[in-house]
Amino acid sequence: MAQKILIEPVTRIEGHAKVSIYLGDDGRVERALLHINEFRGFEKFCEGRMYFEMPAITPRICGICPVSHHLAAAKACDAVAGVQPPRTASLLRELMHMGQVIQSHSMHFFELAGPDILLGFDAEPAKRNIVGLVEEYPEVALKGVLLRKFGQSVIAHLGEKRVHPRFAVVGGVNSALSPASRDTILKESEERLKDVQDGIAIIKSWLEKNQDYAQAFASFPCGYMGLVREDGALELYDGRVRFIDCDGNLLEEFAPADYLDYIGEHVEPWSWLKFPFYRKFGWPDGVYRVGPLARLNVASHISTPLANKEHQEWRSLRSGKPVQATLYYHYARLVETLYAIERLQELLQDPEITSNDIVAFPDSLVGHGVGCLEAPRGTLFHDYTVDEQGRLTAVNFIVATGHNNWAMSKSVEEVAKAFVDGKNLTEGMLNRVEAAIRAYDPCLSCSTHAIGQMPLDISIYARDGSLVRRLVRG
Amino acid sequence: MCLAVPARLVERHDEAGVIELGGLRRTISLALTPEAKVGDYVIVHAGFAISVLDEEQASETLRLLAELASAIPPDDLPPSQP
Repeated sequence: MAQKILIEPVTRIEGHAKVSIYLGDDGRVERALLHINEFRGFEKFCEGRMYFEMPAITPRICGICPVSHHLAAAKACDAVAGVQPPRTASLLRELMHMGQVIQSHSMHFFELAGPDILLGFDAEPAKRNIVGLVEEYPEVALKGVLLRKFGQSVIAHLGEKRVHPRFAVVGGVNSALSPASRDTILKESEERLKDVQDGIAIIKSWLEKNQDYAQAFASFPCGYMGLVREDGALELYDGRVRFIDCDGNLLEEFAPADYLDYIGEHVEPWSWLKFPFYRKFGWPDGVYRVGPLARLNVASHISTPLANKEHQEWRSLRSGKPVQATLYYHYARLVETLYAIERLQELLQDPEITSNDIVAFPDSLVGHGVGCLEAPRGTLFHDYTVDEQGRLTAVNFIVATGHNNWAMSKSVEEVAKAFVDGKNLTEGMLNRVEAAIRAYDPCLSCSTHAIGQMPLDISIYARDGSLVRRLVRG
Repeated sequence: MCLAVPARLVERHDEAGVIELGGLRRTISLALTPEAKVGDYVIVHAGFAISVLDEEQASETLRLLAELASAIPPDDLPPSQP
């Protein structure tokens, strides 16, 4: 029975990344578009359910970063119920979030995308994966495995079931942290701190050696959005939303609940995924990016010492202006992993972290609530409206891949401009289109495929609209 | 949303595995999930099984996806050209 019903998701999981490239009169690339035919219907599907089911439902549907949806849903539920979780509950949720950031970021760098960078885009596809990485840099691959396991173990200490946690509930969490678990995690964190610093050294030396290439690869100006603390420091779990422009000037800072006043969503007929933009600038001037690169760009500093040192270097890359080159996402991911481990240590050293005061009970319903946090891939909003029984009447999600929809398309366009010469399309060019998309680590069906094997469907059109060439891979 | 569909592992040869999803088969890496056994459901990202679901988790997810699939209108893919 499951098989028949699964036909639709299957067509999605087998989906190609569909790209259209448009040539100008001179035969050069004028414009390129990445079409996304996913992300529909989930909000409608949630309507009619009880709001407090959301922390359990959303991670099941979104299995790539289940903890992010689990926690954003719980935060939205708190707001719907008008309840403030006890301090310990917030600390524990943030701790779980750090576990997720560590495991997701380190997996992406060391195992999924790292090989692409370290072994080269033009290396033979069979080698450009973790197997090739283990052969060439065995110690690097091991660090990645240990970091990822560490992040997962943090989640497991809290949520028991590591894939789909049942941990956060309306008003708090449902289990306390034992002193023994705290000590185990703390003890291991020291070693992992060294591993991630080694990773940072690797990406920095790669970027230095390949500076011209890295600076030119899908580099373009746009706005940036991310959460910050009151004092402007990097924040991943609970902060204010900050927008900056392409030169780094502060545009706006606001409470996440007010996001609709600042973020508009543009619809294009050629994509199912909407294009969020900064309202005051309108579409398309208000386009922006989210995720690790954006977060390091919007933050004035980082609250933990080692990560802050890295951040100061980051800020010096363009003399205080935002870093624009897409491959720097990988570097930013590791600086954030460093922060996540340091922050995890701070949380564990808090005397209240093992308290049993972990849930507050709601006594009425506010009726509407927004939950927001920085998922590994970028800012995540859950927005729920309920009736007086607590049944959902409206649900809105903005996910990281949505915020980055324009940026991914733009990155593909930049790559096409640099690497497509008229009718000529090479395997190397395809790898670069893929690398531009992968830098954002999108949770799209085309990215379920192995690195170097993303199914691509690229069409090149002449000025008069006629198809010049079509190349399908996979 | 990302719709990570659980896929059943039908073969395993050391670190390589074959998953099946609604009749389609694909080879993936099991380097990140050494604990995966034939018959398990896994979540796949970038060619890797990144997590293993237990029976209860998998059937709950598949049930939700089935509901979701029936709630979505029939395919009317957006045109590929603007």
